[in-house]
Amino acid sequence: MVSFEILPQLIINGLIAGSIYALAASGFSLVYYVIKFLHFAQGAILTVSAYIFFLFLNILGVHYILSAVLAIISALLTVWLMNWLVYRPLRKRSATGIVLLIASVALLMLSASLMQALFGSSTKVLNLSKSNITYTFGFLTITFIQISIIITAIVLFLLLWFILKKTRLGKSMRALADNKEVSQIVGINPEKIYFYTFLIAAFLGGVAGILIGLEQNLYPRMGIIIIIKGFISAVVGGITSVPGAIVGGLFIGLVENLGIWFLPSGYKDVISFTILLLFLLFRPQGIFGVKKRDDT
Amino acid sequence: MLSIKNLQSGYDKMQILFGINLNIKPNDIVVIIGPNGAGKSTLLKSIFNLVNIYKGKIMLRNKNITKIPTHELIQLGVSFVPQGRQVFNSLTVRENLEMGAFLTSDKKMIEERMKEVLEHFPDLRKKLDDYAFNLSGGQQQMVAIGRALMQDPQLLLLDEPSLGLSPKIMKGLFKKIQEINDEGVTIIIVEQNAKQATKIADKIIVLEDGKIALTGGKKLLKDKRIQQIYLGGR
Repeated sequence: MVSFEILPQLIINGLIAGSIYALAASGFSLVYYVIKFLHFAQGAILTVSAYIFFLFLNILGVHYILSAVLAIISALLTVWLMNWLVYRPLRKRSATGIVLLIASVALLMLSASLMQALFGSSTKVLNLSKSNITYTFGFLTITFIQISIIITAIVLFLLLWFILKKTRLGKSMRALADNKEVSQIVGINPEKIYFYTFLIAAFLGGVAGILIGLEQNLYPRMGIIIIIKGFISAVVGGITSVPGAIVGGLFIGLVENLGIWFLPSGYKDVISFTILLLFLLFRPQGIFGVKKRDDT
Repeated sequence: MLSIKNLQSGYDKMQILFGINLNIKPNDIVVIIGPNGAGKSTLLKSIFNLVNIYKGKIMLRNKNITKIPTHELIQLGVSFVPQGRQVFNSLTVRENLEMGAFLTSDKKMIEERMKEVLEHFPDLRKKLDDYAFNLSGGQQQMVAIGRALMQDPQLLLLDEPSLGLSPKIMKGLFKKIQEINDEGVTIIIVEQNAKQATKIADKIIVLEDGKIALTGGKKLLKDKRIQQIYLGGR
């Protein structure tokens, strides 16, 4: 057991990791909520965004804000391509969720291999002068990047909540998630809403990719690792609930880091996967999910 | 109003309808009856392009609508209430009704229509901010029909609206349907519960094995065979 003094730091670290997981989980869960399949390729979006950010910032020497904008645009383009070349043709053939899941895993693996081929397998460190800024409060240390992660996550989640609850697009997304046939009957074009849903998810993923790149460095398989945590967060939070995925992410981040208080840090993943299994066994609907009730 | 010529449709490779010919006059209430699996729902879904149409033509006021995607049909004045009290469960009653007028951006018009719908279904007034899944079956059906009326349709398709409702509520429902028809809306109803539905019918169509077996007015009900099979009389 480590001393109590490090507890606040563990909580802060948990919140940072949790924000990252929540960012990854939110887009993933949004796609599951509206389009009804496990979009593991959300991890590919994170990877592409992080590497494009690296390309412009460190290789081409572009200003960091412009690099970030270009990285997010690349994330949007990537999802557009995925939908146009893979998901949409599969949906047109009424492919099942399993087929779409396999396709999305293939896209995720493909992104890792492509990044390895293009940028090499070595870990890349993003050089941003601001990333060295550190604030210390007593026992607590937090970097500028970490503060940015938490603030960005909060802002993005509020924005996502606003879109879902208050806008016409959000209402159509909720209606489509709820009942596809009736949505079509009232005049909603599902393909159009699916496309916008992918774009919103990719925007969340694009921002997440940049922040994760700055916090944890870049390697070709980064998207795979993060999206698995995003998936665990989504299941724990309640996979059909977008707020659930966010809470799930924070929960997993906190538990992983608080676990270090009495377990060696190598056990982080053991903790999160054990939690996933416990939830599947004892609360499969997750924290926020509702048990499906019978219609009649 | 609506004419169907040699309609053949089904689900992927499973053909259900084998050559339906049908003419529906404006302002009629048409009731389609027939045994389970005869293709009653498939007929309505074909009009709404929710199944695969292999052959045939569906004309609405002389416009060919056979290939028009589902989400564009409502603009042509057709509304559909699918089977099973289909509401948006996670949306409130108000949001459900608003979704019915999804394609209308004029807020004033939406409010006016909502007022009209609530005049038809005053029970929903107190429930506007409740989630639809919390409503009773009868109320959910009111929401589903109310939602269909929000777009001010000229043709309303109802797929087994009485399914799972108590006899008393069912009676009220058919009275409402008659009222809606009195306002000039053409109505096609598919019903298992032929007895109630045929009371308000101008035209009755009997469907069997994907084909039209009989059509006619209320006189059809005097037919012995019809009485035996669909009305439970002996």
